[in-house]
Amino acid sequence: MLGLDDCLAEVMAIPGALDAMVVDHTSGMAVAASGGEGIDVERSAAALSEALRHTTDGLAQTSPDGTIRLDEMLITTDKGHHLVRHLVTPFEGPLVLYVRLDRERANLALARYRLQAISGQLAK
Amino acid sequence: MPALDTLLAGLARERSTGALRVGRAGTIFMDAGRVTYMECVDTPRAEDVLIASGRVSAPALRRAQREGGGARLVEDGMVTKGELQHCVLGAVLDAAYFLLPVTGSRPKFRPGERHWLGSHWYFEVEEIVRECGRRRAQLAGIWPSAEVDTAPVAPVRRLPGHRVVLNDLQWEILVHADRATTPLELAMKLGRPGYSTLVAVRRLAAAGLLARPEGTAPPPLPRRLGRTEEPGPRPNLDAPTLPLGPVVTADPTDINLLIRLKKALEELS
Repeated sequence: MLGLDDCLAEVMAIPGALDAMVVDHTSGMAVAASGGEGIDVERSAAALSEALRHTTDGLAQTSPDGTIRLDEMLITTDKGHHLVRHLVTPFEGPLVLYVRLDRERANLALARYRLQAISGQLAK
Repeated sequence: MPALDTLLAGLARERSTGALRVGRAGTIFMDAGRVTYMECVDTPRAEDVLIASGRVSAPALRRAQREGGGARLVEDGMVTKGELQHCVLGAVLDAAYFLLPVTGSRPKFRPGERHWLGSHWYFEVEEIVRECGRRRAQLAGIWPSAEVDTAPVAPVRRLPGHRVVLNDLQWEILVHADRATTPLELAMKLGRPGYSTLVAVRRLAAAGLLARPEGTAPPPLPRRLGRTEEPGPRPNLDAPTLPLGPVVTADPTDINLLIRLKKALEELS
């Protein structure tokens, strides 16, 4: 069974992982972060929460019934992939599991599969 | 009397273990100089959240309180380790946000006293203080006036537009807002963290979905003659008796006007 702190090591073991974070979505706080060169953890956690909030709002208006429930988000940029997983916990949240992947070295299907497995161990 | 965070910093330096009771406002538990748990009368405790989630029954909770603590809940398979950590983490930071500014009661430290949950997450004192500061700034960034934090939540009776997007907590707040209950009372009622509730309420305020609290009538913006409802922010330059802009007094509503202006200007940029 994984804790919030030790799950990061598992996430970073995904081939091609560059950095990873666990973020509390409501407060925009970094619960745990792998760190990395040039990364301001506090700022990226808050920004990631904002990005998620706007995406959710935007998609809610795009979907026919006006409501949305986010599971996973995948964004590919020129430099890499950003993989975000919403973790529904019975408590406030949701927790967000985030990993940035190297575009050349990462295997997206594998990364998604592994991230899903890790979330399964973190929360029921 | 020193501020609570100064007192905590001292206890951290001495690597103390025990409980600091802050009058009736709450208690802070420390383990070798690090904070492991905090509770505040204004916010739901970890056990309230566990029960409200429906994952832990009241008898199971009592069993764990008698013996085994939080670890017992994990062993019995009711919550995972990560979930318990998240629950404690959330409860502590939520309590800290409202407990740390408390003044006026003489805190009492009882060495050796521990919380029944045990230690599941360790916080450095300065880390908590920094996070509280960040959260305060975040709230101010959403909507700069703190008066909605303590006033009863009163949704406007009519949408100021045609369509609105709400999140789950905002929805719950609007459904339960009876124009008499304050945000923190709603948080307790819903079993939601106090801080998340304040975030949701301020977002509602920023979206213009809350009526102004009583006693803080809209500031005297120049209005068209003959209109009685809340005026739009368009000055009527033809009105001869009114100076350009509102009359400046020491009235607190002037401050509110400034805050509204600041917000509007920020949105423009």
